[in-house]
Amino acid sequence: MGFEIIDVSGDVGIRAEGNDLEEVFKNAARGLYSLITDIDKVRPLISRRIELKATEPDNLIVSFLNELIFIFDAYGFIGSRIDMESNLKDIFHPGQVKELWLKADIRGEDFDPVRHERRLLVKAATYHNLRFYKENDLWKVNIIFDI
Amino acid sequence: MPVEGLIRIDENRLEVPPTYKPGMRTNGIIFVDEELEKELEKESIEQVANVATLPGIVGSSLAMPDIHTGYGFAIGGVAAFDLKEGVISPGGVGYDINCGVRLLRSNLTKEEVLPKIKELVNTLYNEIPTGVGSKGKIKLDSSSEKELLKKGARWAVENGYGESEDLERIESGGCIEGADPSIISDKAYERGRAQQGTLGSGNHFLEVQYVDEIYDERAATELGLFKGQITVMIHTGSRGFGHQVCTDFLEIMERAARKYGIELPDKELACAPFNSPEAQDYLSAMRAAANYAWANRQCLMHWTKECFIKVFNISPKELGLTLIYDVAHNIAKIEEHVVNGKRLKLVVHRKGATRAFPPGHPELPEMYRKIGQPVIIPGDMGRYSYLLLGTNKAMQETFGSTCHGAGRLLSRHQAIKKAKGRSISREMEDRGIIVRSAGRETLAEEMSEAYKDVSNVVEVVHRAGISRKVARLHPIGVIKG
Repeated sequence: MGFEIIDVSGDVGIRAEGNDLEEVFKNAARGLYSLITDIDKVRPLISRRIELKATEPDNLIVSFLNELIFIFDAYGFIGSRIDMESNLKDIFHPGQVKELWLKADIRGEDFDPVRHERRLLVKAATYHNLRFYKENDLWKVNIIFDI
Repeated sequence: MPVEGLIRIDENRLEVPPTYKPGMRTNGIIFVDEELEKELEKESIEQVANVATLPGIVGSSLAMPDIHTGYGFAIGGVAAFDLKEGVISPGGVGYDINCGVRLLRSNLTKEEVLPKIKELVNTLYNEIPTGVGSKGKIKLDSSSEKELLKKGARWAVENGYGESEDLERIESGGCIEGADPSIISDKAYERGRAQQGTLGSGNHFLEVQYVDEIYDERAATELGLFKGQITVMIHTGSRGFGHQVCTDFLEIMERAARKYGIELPDKELACAPFNSPEAQDYLSAMRAAANYAWANRQCLMHWTKECFIKVFNISPKELGLTLIYDVAHNIAKIEEHVVNGKRLKLVVHRKGATRAFPPGHPELPEMYRKIGQPVIIPGDMGRYSYLLLGTNKAMQETFGSTCHGAGRLLSRHQAIKKAKGRSISREMEDRGIIVRSAGRETLAEEMSEAYKDVSNVVEVVHRAGISRKVARLHPIGVIKG
């Protein structure tokens, strides 16, 4: 799976994991989409490109997920496949990277309430208890969404 | 068990002493009795203490009895800041700017509505855009969206949604001056364009209710309420527009906090000095979002009225569906308050808290000057909601604020687990409540057991005197996202 839903009192969170941070970011995106609908039903028909920069991984992941929320909420685009180029693989070697960047291609389609299950309306990704950590050789992040 | 480090002041209040956490500039006061104290989350107490560390806080960092953990500020939090020394923080308002509630009265009785309640709920569900991915019936172009942001509910009335008499029965007249559309990001505009006139999802709802208990006959009569009467409650906010404004400004404010040397115990507490350009921009954008929300609730009320007229085949006059009041419970406002005998202009943040101004307050419309401001407290969909009035004690103790709702007891996940194998909609119907919802799991997440009993919350604010009970409202029909 690469992600799981975590329980928080008022809202909902996900834990995404991966061999490197780029994979964590991709799984976090799929985790977010799976809060909104069943992503197995989302066909990769159209593509959207996102390019972002930030100085810290916290800010980059929050901006990235908020961008996906924006594209869904404003244009009804829901994704299921994520391709990414970035310098995220390098960032836990201090001094190597001064600015983080990512370029993501999100493939999906227009949300159709008849065909796509309606799950949660996600308002935003938050910094609340946001944490990247390494466990059993895997990178993980916990991220909480405002519902 | 009493929470360690907190001091009980009296039956209804707990103090978070300034020694609770390093950096606190003042104490915290949480309005809870011993029962609700048992449900206090450690993290929410921490958040009350964190707010007390922010520069320029005036009085105590306050929390209402429906307190629970939020982002930055606790939900149920109230904090006032000095305009010279203090800050403004998007985390003190929340993502859903001007999330709020409006209450409508009617001339109909429960007996008249019950035979047609299913038809009414279905009609409301079909006419009012609800749930994830739903689109509004109002299409805004760029110039009409800008006008809406400046005018709020007045825009809705000018465009045929409701009557001009409605406006004085809305907090701030349904429009805060000083909204500047040029501050708003393209993204917020994009998100707001198709969502005006939509209910949303989560805990937002539209509910048909009846008055099942009256606690203050005189006030109820003044408000046009009687036992057995049908009322309607609408709970929603500024939708994606407000969420985007908050998201945009959290980034801006985080950079601003660093620039102005404000130490933040939590990124979600990002803030800037009140007089800084960043803070003033946020204030303008937040006001635009607040106006968006007031227009939204105004449009939803208009369609609600149309649904009633269609289902009951009566004239608007016979129906008499009019606004009692509309309150914001996620907002920051500039208000005058007396602190230690001095009259001060402050920026009051209410996040999951409702304004509760007393009788005689100049901000209240003429018809409520004698009794005080109506305060609307929604409960969960299976039990009841309350109508309260603002008091002088609220003015003295809580910057004219009180609670805003029930507060969750179970997480969404726990609620879904508990509802497994059950039909919540059938259970509700057995209890005489017809429910329609867009999301498959919404009803499980929003079932009664997932919430605290709102009457416990209301009892605390009533006993503490920061508002007083007028009536209790019982649901018979609910639509949800």
